[in-house]
Amino acid sequence: MTPATLIARKEAGELLFSLRGLAWLLALCAALSSFTLLLVGSTELSLLDNAQVVCDMAGLITVLASLLALIVGIDATAGERERGSLVPLLLIPTPRRMILLGKLGGILIAWIAMFLLSIPYLWAVGSTGQNLAEGVALVAILGTPVVLTFGFLGMALGSWMPSARACLMTGMIALAVSASPLVIGPSLRQSAIGRIFDAINPLSGTVNAYDAVIIDGKPIIAQWPGLVLALAWLAIVLASAVAAFDRLSR
Amino acid sequence: MRRNLARFAAASAMAITVLAASCPSAAGDLSIAIAPSVDNPADPQMGDHLVFETRLTNTGATPVLGVISWLSIVRVDPGQEAPIGLEDWSAEKAVTRASLAPGETIATDWPMRLIQDGHYRAVVSAASRDGTILAASPFADFTVRVKPVVQSARVIPVAAGVPLLLMLLFFMRRRASSSR
Repeated sequence: MTPATLIARKEAGELLFSLRGLAWLLALCAALSSFTLLLVGSTELSLLDNAQVVCDMAGLITVLASLLALIVGIDATAGERERGSLVPLLLIPTPRRMILLGKLGGILIAWIAMFLLSIPYLWAVGSTGQNLAEGVALVAILGTPVVLTFGFLGMALGSWMPSARACLMTGMIALAVSASPLVIGPSLRQSAIGRIFDAINPLSGTVNAYDAVIIDGKPIIAQWPGLVLALAWLAIVLASAVAAFDRLSR
Repeated sequence: MRRNLARFAAASAMAITVLAASCPSAAGDLSIAIAPSVDNPADPQMGDHLVFETRLTNTGATPVLGVISWLSIVRVDPGQEAPIGLEDWSAEKAVTRASLAPGETIATDWPMRLIQDGHYRAVVSAASRDGTILAASPFADFTVRVKPVVQSARVIPVAAGVPLLLMLLFFMRRRASSSR
């Protein structure tokens, strides 16, 4: 087993089996449960079309998983530094890139766990409607680069900034700005600034793709612009995380 | 002979009194016409809005005092016959008017949100302060098409079950770590 795999397993194990990680996953599930219960508890929301609900749920899962990935990413660097375990880790006779790869793998495994936990919720709200399978597939295809982008951003911030609190605040602001399309309706995003923001924001591209596939029934393959945008951001943030981690190790 | 005449007069007076009580009075002079709005969807489904327009007219020669009109909806699917509670369906509870002059008309729109699929009949009724019978419009029939919506029977087990499983795992881990 390579050092990277070992570190990835350790990072993922901390999320899946440590009390702190389980509490994060529990918070994610509590938020998803609250949303689903709101859907059946409110007359207005209970009349939403299944496809609309699956689309909203897909967006919520992506944002919540991005938030959790951001926290996991920050914890993997700034958190370790504050607990005093980062320096011993950097001193082990393993290339720094392997350590980084292991930590990135930990974020990927964390996202897989979150994605698997979200599937029952998508089924519960959308099994009687249309395009549920396409919706689940799209969360996997487009959600993965978006969630990893925020996870890697957390790692980059954790390597750059001296305190975990400052990293968390900066990351949360970035996520809140990026997730604004979920709160602001499409009509309010029709201005020139809104269109420019939509064109560069990976979460906008993802939410628009969810809408097009799940509600409008368009083919997944036609959503390649959203995927390209998400992959471009992933590459930029990954490069930033690598550079920041390298600087940290020097 | 005079005694017989007196008995006849008394019987006639009683009959007239009974007849007068059974005659439609004030509210009987109200007529109600009902029609669906032209803006209504042709094939409405759950969640859509419908509007019914009514015209309540005093067709009598005297004013009708204390007029109250209200909408009722009944479901008429076989085995599902029931009056519908309008709390969720309609924002319009009732329309009241202190006095309705002869020939005067009250035009009212009755908007409603379609909550459940099925076959329905809408009717608008009216009563007055002194009237003895109820005035009612003809029935306006409509059908609500089913729409796939969230099923609470599927949501609740998942919404409760997944966090409970995680909590169980959490407390098991906590117990294991505290016993070490």
